[in-house]
Amino acid sequence: MKVILFFRRFVTLLLFVLLQVFVFGRINLFGYAAPLFYVWMILHMESHMSRSAVLLWSFFLGLAVDVFTATPGLNAATATLTGFLQPVAMNISTRIDRHDTLRPSCESMGWRRFMLFSMSLIFIHILVYFILRGTPEQNTGIFVTSVLSSFAITFTLVFFIDLAFSEKADNRPV
Amino acid sequence: MRALFDFFVKHGSAFLFIVLEGVSLLLLFTLSESRNAAIMTSAGNISGSILKIRSSIGQYFSLKDENTALAIENSLLRERLWQYESDSAFMAREQMETLLSNPEQTVLARVIDNSTRHDDNFVTIDRGTIDGVEEGMGVYDSHGAVGVVMIAGSRYSIVLPILNSRTSLSCKIRNTDQLGFVEWKGGSVYEALLIDIPYQSNVQIGDTVQTSGFSWAFPEGLMVGTVAWVKHRQNANTLDIGVTLASELNNLGWVFVHQGTPNEEIEAISELILQQNN
Repeated sequence: MKVILFFRRFVTLLLFVLLQVFVFGRINLFGYAAPLFYVWMILHMESHMSRSAVLLWSFFLGLAVDVFTATPGLNAATATLTGFLQPVAMNISTRIDRHDTLRPSCESMGWRRFMLFSMSLIFIHILVYFILRGTPEQNTGIFVTSVLSSFAITFTLVFFIDLAFSEKADNRPV
Repeated sequence: MRALFDFFVKHGSAFLFIVLEGVSLLLLFTLSESRNAAIMTSAGNISGSILKIRSSIGQYFSLKDENTALAIENSLLRERLWQYESDSAFMAREQMETLLSNPEQTVLARVIDNSTRHDDNFVTIDRGTIDGVEEGMGVYDSHGAVGVVMIAGSRYSIVLPILNSRTSLSCKIRNTDQLGFVEWKGGSVYEALLIDIPYQSNVQIGDTVQTSGFSWAFPEGLMVGTVAWVKHRQNANTLDIGVTLASELNNLGWVFVHQGTPNEEIEAISELILQQNN
């Protein structure tokens, strides 16, 4: 069973890497907004996974994206931080200690809680990504515009695709 | 000992986080511009092969456009050949014959990945060290300069194109022979900036900007672009010159790598000056 789970997660990782590199990595709205859609996989890691497992999957996801670009370590560093914060954000968002499995989504958390959960993690992810990447001549205006526009497009993609696939996206308590 | 073991078990994820973050930052800050980075980037063999497959599929669908571009280029070359044949200047003829007799000075490469949407863009080509490509070599297409090889893997290489904030090409204006540097500050992918041209220079819109030949990356006189606008830089005795780039860097297909030979003496003197300045 664990082998099947591992294999499924591995295929998901490959899928998100290919989507990021060949689809979302080529989108650049208004010259600033760059969607980092692969963060979806980190957001949706289940609550029963150990923190170390979440960290390792996040690290290798980021590293795999880096392999297709000329910035080794950039996505790996960002994804590792997001992976470290994901269980913390999940505990805060759900507010109770859970012993059963929770896979964060609009359906399982309710859209308001999922929105807060995903907003906070995506914002930190994008902010750290652009701090590490840097901007030409340290231009603050370009930095702020890049962070806000990339956050907006990534969050919109993650949230609305999740909402579309949720059958019961109500605000029920968890 | 038991307490130490318990401590590591309890805070294992925190230690793992520090280790993974450390590895990532080490890769980011130490490997991003070194030769060892080839394996970790699109110059690596596995990722390079995947990008090549995608590029092949993409090129199949753009065959019609490529044919049209080749036909136009063919007619332009024919026109230039007629001009050359009617040119009686012996030196120009001799220079061209020297260039044509050394076809091994260029390596034909296919662009398999190309980004133009970031502040720091990169181009990946399907030629590496086994084909004679080395770091620092200049890359150009049929229209003009494209960039300089940054990382050369064994079979693939990453090129730092003009559309990268770290690129600075030594160039000159053909009519005046004034020297400057072509850089890119973001924005339009069709336009770069020529800096360090003295304020007194007589620069006209439409003037040709070409490589100076002062670095071994490019031969002298390779087309870079044309002057689009001229502005006086505030509080400085230099001009800011907008350059419409000759190459369409967002639409690269085949490129040439110029296998120039570095002059070791000049390189040694340059390094000495840099060390003294530091």
